[in-house]
Amino acid sequence: MVVSIKDLDVKEKMQWCPGCGNFGIVSALKGAIADLGLAPHETVICSGIGCSSKLPHYLDTYGFESIHGRGLPVASAIKLANNNLNVISVGGDGDGYGIGVQHFVHIMRRNYDLTYIVHNNQIYGLTTGQASPTSMMGMKTKTTPWGVIEEPFRPLATAINSGATFVARGYAGDPVHLKELIKGAIAHKGFAFVDVFQPCVTFNKINTYPWFQQRVYKLDGTHDVKDKWAAMQKAYEDEKTNYQKVPIGLFYKVEKPTYESQLPQIKDVPLVKHDLKKIDISMAYKELE
Amino acid sequence: MMFSFKIGAQAGAGVMVTGRMMAKCFTRGGFHVVEYPEYPSLVRGGHNVVEVAVSDKQMYSPTQKCDVVIALNKDAIFYHKDFVKKGGVIIYDEPIDTKQFKIPKDVHLLPVPLIKLIEKAGGNNNMINVVALASALALVEYPFEILAKVIEDEFGRKGAEIVKKNIDAATEGYNYVTENKGDVVNLVKTIKPTSNARKMLIAGNEAIALGAVKGGMKFYSAYPMTPASSILHYLFANERNFNIVVKQTEDEIAAMNYAIGASFAGVRSMTGTSGGGFALMTEALGMAALAETPIVTALVQRVGPSTGMPTWTEQADLRFALHASQGDFLRVILAPGDVDECFYLGAEAFNLAEKYQLPVIIISDKFLAETVFSTERFDEKKMKIERGKIVDNLPALEPNTRYKRYKLTKDGVSPRVFPGTPNGMHVGTSYEHDETGFSSESFIMRTKQVDKRDAKLAGLLKEIPAPEVYGPKKAPVTIVCWGSHKLPALDALGILENNGIKANVLHFSYLFPLDKNKIEKAMKQCTKTVMFENNSTGQFTGMLKQYCDVEPDFLVLKYDGRQFFAEQMAEEIGKLVKKKFKGDKDIRICEKEDLEYYNQQRYGL
Repeated sequence: MVVSIKDLDVKEKMQWCPGCGNFGIVSALKGAIADLGLAPHETVICSGIGCSSKLPHYLDTYGFESIHGRGLPVASAIKLANNNLNVISVGGDGDGYGIGVQHFVHIMRRNYDLTYIVHNNQIYGLTTGQASPTSMMGMKTKTTPWGVIEEPFRPLATAINSGATFVARGYAGDPVHLKELIKGAIAHKGFAFVDVFQPCVTFNKINTYPWFQQRVYKLDGTHDVKDKWAAMQKAYEDEKTNYQKVPIGLFYKVEKPTYESQLPQIKDVPLVKHDLKKIDISMAYKELE
Repeated sequence: MMFSFKIGAQAGAGVMVTGRMMAKCFTRGGFHVVEYPEYPSLVRGGHNVVEVAVSDKQMYSPTQKCDVVIALNKDAIFYHKDFVKKGGVIIYDEPIDTKQFKIPKDVHLLPVPLIKLIEKAGGNNNMINVVALASALALVEYPFEILAKVIEDEFGRKGAEIVKKNIDAATEGYNYVTENKGDVVNLVKTIKPTSNARKMLIAGNEAIALGAVKGGMKFYSAYPMTPASSILHYLFANERNFNIVVKQTEDEIAAMNYAIGASFAGVRSMTGTSGGGFALMTEALGMAALAETPIVTALVQRVGPSTGMPTWTEQADLRFALHASQGDFLRVILAPGDVDECFYLGAEAFNLAEKYQLPVIIISDKFLAETVFSTERFDEKKMKIERGKIVDNLPALEPNTRYKRYKLTKDGVSPRVFPGTPNGMHVGTSYEHDETGFSSESFIMRTKQVDKRDAKLAGLLKEIPAPEVYGPKKAPVTIVCWGSHKLPALDALGILENNGIKANVLHFSYLFPLDKNKIEKAMKQCTKTVMFENNSTGQFTGMLKQYCDVEPDFLVLKYDGRQFFAEQMAEEIGKLVKKKFKGDKDIRICEKEDLEYYNQQRYGL
């Protein structure tokens, strides 16, 4: 289907701070959907709660804005209920790596064919500046007045370790590169995870655009995306180099059967199209007699 | 004729399977059967017992006392010896030394060398259950062929050799008792099959699951929790036959959110849990209400608060179901009273959820969930699937406009449209919103959306039937109860009648919303009302007062972990009649128990 970015526009004003990294992510996502020609009415974008979770309102697709941390379970079941849909889940680092981290870990074991984009700004924005699971050690926030003393959560290493079949990291300051990553993620048959550095211009005074500009570099053809151990090493490169070298791009990609492809019940007809008038339970009676 | 067996053994020894086989034997002989299990929250080591009550007349609930105990270990003798009727028999495995127990003098002991008989038949120790079952059937001279067929059905998939070995072992047990029961035979009735009509044996949980499937449920997500787990097990076992998707999730938070996601995508979906799991689901329950996503939840109660007594029964989560999640919102609470109601309400829940786009909670309890009843096949003709307002064909929208998923309507219900439908794009949301689903903090829109959702109450009330009266229309005393307690209440009527007391039952299976007019009228038709609730605060009594301004004359509460037995209900009514309905309005009862029992549980014999 031919889809233009204009087809995805809505009238609503995006309610984010000027300069917010979320603008770059929305434009990259729209570009990816248009380039891939996904029909807007066959696309569902789920989210949790947070600044980034307002995103479903800013694209003219179907959407579900759930509660804090629960975008992934809602998205999972939408896919199981109608496996013809393109399902994308978005959310922030507090949403996905904090309150909803159990869903993040377990969804990767399942390999549903859906895409998960995390707007990782390393801070809680909507609740006005508390430490997040990815806030760097030493960072002062409202809840860490003497600096963070907890190790940061490692989304990419966690994803590779938990069985994700597509693991990438983008940067909201480079929407062109990000769009390509998201396109790859959506096109991937299986669970595709994209962690996106998203500078929060209001509350994160450490991980700013200039901070990333100096540190991020793009993985190239020399990195073997099929090599799990190489991917793991790249996932730890920021820590190893004391955050002097921060790779972005596709870290890991492997083909595995999706969860839904292993369910004969929905092989030919999605659940939503099953005929409710023709339900026969006589064999159940027989078994109970 | 009414006869009851109790089979007791160490947890993990397989008495549940034996109970089911015995229940099948009697159901296939044309009897009404209730099979009632009790067990501790342990995989091995605790004491399990299953009661099989058999009657030639309609019977609804287990009994306190039994005719025959089948004791596979010494604990079973210890626990049940005082609950055997006069003239009853305890069959036990011969090596057990019974001298250590004070056996009531009108109870007879019948030792059977179960293990030796298995050895004689060339079987293995796992067959002890089958031999014990055969022994009990021989005692009442029940035909062996019926047992042989049940063994064949039970073990058939394990191969002909296993079937044969079990039948050989059973034959030894049957013959041994036939030859050795001696004078015991005069004390026990014989049970003769009355017909060979096939009936089903089904537990409350299975009936809810089956009703949901017939009602169009296509997706079920849950996390295991006693006593709701058997819904999950039953659905998983039949997932491919039923052509549905069942998902075990990482926790109950995910279970509820999955069910909501599937519903948003257009599928009838459900989750199930017990109180602790429901606590984790409550945040998402409110989301279902605000996003107006239909959702059905089976809340199978056990003893709370917190972990409580996981494998025992209570009716104390009703107020929790009524108030779960923050904010004001409408919900429906259904409380099936028997397996038939489990089936029909299991399906009807989806009609109400979809027609009114709100959460429906089916509240049940361990007692109903895991007790197995003989029943006829359900009458599917009286069921229909009503999905409410759904649109699947929409004209193109004006530029810069979105589909009004939350359109303000008079009846409060706005047409749903599912993802995949052109021109219906919108966002389902947990935020207060305008008609299109866009977050809105407008005071006027907020008030209008609340009023819209609340407007569903009027339509809903029209669908909620009045409480049901069982027994004579008019009676000097009425047992009032809800949910599972319909079962002992109906049996109590028979006991009361034998004692010369005319009574009837007023039973509620629709617990919320409550229709003041219908309920006031029903209560006015009663002379004296006695409410029985399986909790410590009279939760439903409070709701009746709050919403309908009616109050029962007496309130009897029990919260020891067991449901009321029919005998106990009849006894309390009898006392009130004797006292001419004078005295304390609040009555509390508890099972009788010796300190000895407690010490046994804790330290062993």
